[in-house]
Amino acid sequence: MRASHLVLLPILLAAGMACAQDYLSCQLVPGWAQSGPKRQYTADNLYDYKDGAAEGYLSYGFTRMQGVDCKLGGITLTIDVSEMADADSAYGMFAANRDPRLPIARIGMGGQIQPQSAQFAKGKYYVEIVAIDPNPNGDRTAELRAFVTGMQQRLEGRDTAPEELDWFPKDDLASTRLVPESVLGLKQLKRGYVATYKQGQAFIAVEASPESASEVLKQLRQRFDGASSVAVGDEAFQAKAPYLDGICIFRKGRYLGGYANLPSPQEAASRAAKLAASIP
Amino acid sequence: MKSTTSRRDFLSAGLALPVLNAGSRMALWQSPQNPVSSAPSSPAKLSYRTLGHTGLKVTTVGFGCMITSDSSVVQRAVDLGITYFDTARGYQHGNNERMVGTALGSKRKQVVLSTKTEARDKAGQLKELDTSLSELNTDYVDIWYIHGKSSPAEIHDDMIEALQLAKQQGKARFVGISTHSGQPQLLPWMAQKGVFDVVLTAFNFSMDPGVQQAIDTVAKAGMGVVAMKVMAGGSRNQKLAQSGAMLAALKWVIQHPNVATTIPSMTDMDQLEQNLKAMEGAFSEGDQKLLAAHLERIQPFYCRMCGKCEGACAEGLPVADVLRCLTYADGYGQFALGRERFLELTSEQVAVRCGDCAECTVKCPYGVQVSSRMARAQELFA
Repeated sequence: MRASHLVLLPILLAAGMACAQDYLSCQLVPGWAQSGPKRQYTADNLYDYKDGAAEGYLSYGFTRMQGVDCKLGGITLTIDVSEMADADSAYGMFAANRDPRLPIARIGMGGQIQPQSAQFAKGKYYVEIVAIDPNPNGDRTAELRAFVTGMQQRLEGRDTAPEELDWFPKDDLASTRLVPESVLGLKQLKRGYVATYKQGQAFIAVEASPESASEVLKQLRQRFDGASSVAVGDEAFQAKAPYLDGICIFRKGRYLGGYANLPSPQEAASRAAKLAASIP
Repeated sequence: MKSTTSRRDFLSAGLALPVLNAGSRMALWQSPQNPVSSAPSSPAKLSYRTLGHTGLKVTTVGFGCMITSDSSVVQRAVDLGITYFDTARGYQHGNNERMVGTALGSKRKQVVLSTKTEARDKAGQLKELDTSLSELNTDYVDIWYIHGKSSPAEIHDDMIEALQLAKQQGKARFVGISTHSGQPQLLPWMAQKGVFDVVLTAFNFSMDPGVQQAIDTVAKAGMGVVAMKVMAGGSRNQKLAQSGAMLAALKWVIQHPNVATTIPSMTDMDQLEQNLKAMEGAFSEGDQKLLAAHLERIQPFYCRMCGKCEGACAEGLPVADVLRCLTYADGYGQFALGRERFLELTSEQVAVRCGDCAECTVKCPYGVQVSSRMARAQELFA
């Protein structure tokens, strides 16, 4: 290697490292200046910053958060970037915190910008920006959008939502989310995607193998009195259950899926069959 | 506030079972001044206490809704007789309040419902309260807390004005503050201030005895006490792993007579049914053993960040900071982060080797083996 290359190498490495951190700069948008030092939290001190809400972050595999406050005139933007366990978890964090009554914008894997706050997920990063505005009814959409745009260009990682979400039927779909534990309030369904419809809920969870999925299905079936077998996926049952009404849970390969909160087990089974058919 | 119970007494009486003696504080805890009563008509055996001068009757096990994702668990808890439900404006950006409101439905008035505001001024607080009421689908909350404060300096007069205004307007029946730390200063101040009805405080078997004394102070002043973080939580080294330990931790809090109710987080029906069992029996010797074993396991490693070691190292090491680096690596499996933080120490501090000292000048009051832990950090990171 030539001597000039040896000189350049550390500079290039430093530039690369700086670039990786550029997403957390007030200078992303002209006119804004940093207010106070940057902050950093990990799983063991996130409580200092988020109080009890920290548990929500931890449930999605939070590893650390970096944040900065940016100021222009009387407006302060509080920007926090959380690194989650993986991209699916980052999306799950976004989906749990978004307003399900509003549409998801095409920002990274998904995002929302409201008059005084914005959030989006890209790769393993979950970004929150809150505007602190002397006018409680002020509309800071433009400023928030400018930062969101700059940040998502600089953050690395996936910008498509988890593929499982595409498997849910779209008719009357109200919202989707990743539940980090106890899907439908059932301990056996450890983690999974839940779709909420105008009526009823659907879910998809994945196990390590078809055998372990089959074992979970067996345990679930034992929970519901009067459960009966039904031909959906590789194996399935339907039941009428307290709190979950008409329910059908099936296994297809290593996936578990189903519907709940429908008027009858038969209707749950009928809709579950369509869901099972969409799982590759 | 002058301490009347030493940390050593607290640990030896409550948890270090091998040295437990008949005259310990445990005897007091097992004879509560405010005894638990049972509700014979309920299918589950429930116990109730009165929440200070509010007069509200609450089950000793309440429900922290914070990470609950499915409304069915809340609905079942109501049907099983739990009477206290806690949420906050900030949980899941408001989605949690909406879930709780939907789950309670027409049964809202059967329960005591609390929420919290993180807003920094009166106008913001009152705006958040209106949003909370809308999302919870109710025209009042039973208790409205200022969320997560650690010292009196964080609570401004206009925040208190917001609480009082909410009471006058009938939007909140009672008001208080929630806190995770700083209880020995904050709680006596609250008692003296005389404008708060309830405190929601972190309280569990692993905490400094000063927290318990602070709780006793506010209870004596007539305030209601709600306990959270009752199962301690923490990193993989700190979590209650042994079967039955979580239930024991919950029972440990409940058997403190000045705690009216607790709000363990629950995400599924199994946790709900498990936690209900805490109301069925007293804190037992077996429970003590479980918690003592847990403390015994974490004691050599678990830094409580009490600050007592500050300035104690003859070589000038910031002991708590180095222990935190080790926690990143050993507790959370984040070696890189631990090393990154360690290397932020001064070069003189990084160069120190604890093995070179004949005797360690740092004595942790909680029994953390400082010298060996520091040596491990140096071996890992330096």
